[in-house]
Amino acid sequence: MKLQTGTKRKKNKVLTGWIYAFLTAGYIFLAPVLLPCTLAASPAPDATWFVDMNQYSSAAHGSLGCEDCHGAMIESGPGREKPHPDPDGEDFLKYQTKRRFDYQSCRKCHKTAYSRFSEGAHAAAADEEKKTGSVSRTGHAPVCGDCHSAHYSKSHLSRVQTGRIMTETCGTCHPDQKTSYLSNYHGKAAVNLGHEKSAFCTDCHGAHTTMSLKDKEAALNACLRCHANAPPEFANIIIHDTPKTRDMKNDEKQAGLKWVYAARAVILFFVVLVLAFFYSHTGVLMLRKLHEKLRRHK
Amino acid sequence: MEANPTPADTFQRFHVLHRMLHVVIIFNFTLLAITGFALHFSEFGWVQVLVSVMGGAAAAGWLHRFCAVFLYMGVLVHLLWLFYYKFVLKQTWSGPDSMLPGKKDIKDLYQNLRYAFNKDTPPLFDRYSYLQKYDYWAELLGMQSMGITGLILWYPDFFAGILPGYFINIAGYLHFYEAVLAVMYIGVVHMADTHLVPDIFPMEKSIFTGNIEKKRFMEDHPEEWKRKQMTNSETA
Repeated sequence: MKLQTGTKRKKNKVLTGWIYAFLTAGYIFLAPVLLPCTLAASPAPDATWFVDMNQYSSAAHGSLGCEDCHGAMIESGPGREKPHPDPDGEDFLKYQTKRRFDYQSCRKCHKTAYSRFSEGAHAAAADEEKKTGSVSRTGHAPVCGDCHSAHYSKSHLSRVQTGRIMTETCGTCHPDQKTSYLSNYHGKAAVNLGHEKSAFCTDCHGAHTTMSLKDKEAALNACLRCHANAPPEFANIIIHDTPKTRDMKNDEKQAGLKWVYAARAVILFFVVLVLAFFYSHTGVLMLRKLHEKLRRHK
Repeated sequence: MEANPTPADTFQRFHVLHRMLHVVIIFNFTLLAITGFALHFSEFGWVQVLVSVMGGAAAAGWLHRFCAVFLYMGVLVHLLWLFYYKFVLKQTWSGPDSMLPGKKDIKDLYQNLRYAFNKDTPPLFDRYSYLQKYDYWAELLGMQSMGITGLILWYPDFFAGILPGYFINIAGYLHFYEAVLAVMYIGVVHMADTHLVPDIFPMEKSIFTGNIEKKRFMEDHPEEWKRKQMTNSETA
């Protein structure tokens, strides 16, 4: 093979330079798109069987050892309290961990939370599920692990950070409530604008009792935590204002919601009517005046 | 461009008080719209940045209430002036110089629409055209309604004591839809009719300077001009 001539080599160099420049420019332009993609591609912590130890050790429970919660892990054998599952067993790594794990072990450290949970609506739903065996329309009655990640929950989060995560967590099973909360002043100020004094889910419904607040007195008590002068009627203000959850409300609120939607329809009709009239009025007159003006200039 | 008109060619159209009140409205209306819609559309990232620039949700809320009170003080000053106008200056609230709507306004509206379709000549307006009157009443009544619903949302614990609870929800919807109406009306109709019409574009300055040129006076308010000439000839 002949050696390349000087000009050819030079041409190639120029071409390579252009390719490099192109790639660099491309990366710079695409960086805002590519970076989040690469970040998202890193394994996300999930309720799988394998624990990401890097994330675990920096999470709230990072100082605990496996056996603190899971009990002594020992080879299976007769007389063992909690044998390690048989790797050759049929359901090995196949069942849902959350449905089998005994969350009694959370109680060892989180006594208050646990006792509140056992008095609350979620625990009642769990009992119901056990009795009837039927799963409610929002899914399985949640146990600790359905809302909290034992391995990856961070500690020392701010009130707003916790609240934002909470809105997503509760919203997984209660999407209509999440939507209506976020269209309410409380949700807009708290979640969207990070206003600490506004209310997040648990500020009204309780962190572990998770009350429905259908009962007026319970609702008023929730209001009174922030609105110290709230009269009894205050509890009839509709917070989760959506037709989707209307049948979950008490009769008074259902009746109120009808008036709210009627009033909204009337005002919407009025707004559309006024704007339609004046926009067309201004539109045709503007065209006429432009026409006259242009004709005068001819 | 015409040469600057000599003072003899201009006439005072707006008293300094009304010019100031108009500026008060512009200032507060704009800030109220920004801070109010910033809460309603707070799911957008750039709105969150805007609110944090204003000092967070609490500061934006404070600014919204401050501007509301400031604006309503303007309304009160205007109402006081109305009484001053009638009882001290001994003028009347009705008549062709007033903002009160009359039969002529409906006639003018009809004629203006006919004019738009080239079936008539443009109507001859008096001191205030029917659109200017509509601007005035929409603003004045709108501010009462926005004030009431705003107060209900400001003190829900007080108003839940005298009204059914769902009225606070209704007040929320009214406040929002009316804000949309106000901004879409002022931002498009008022802007187009007063500033963007071909003869006036780019800007109608009389509400800021207080003065109107003779040519514009004769074109835009011919009836008032006619009355003015008649009284002048009577006194002369």
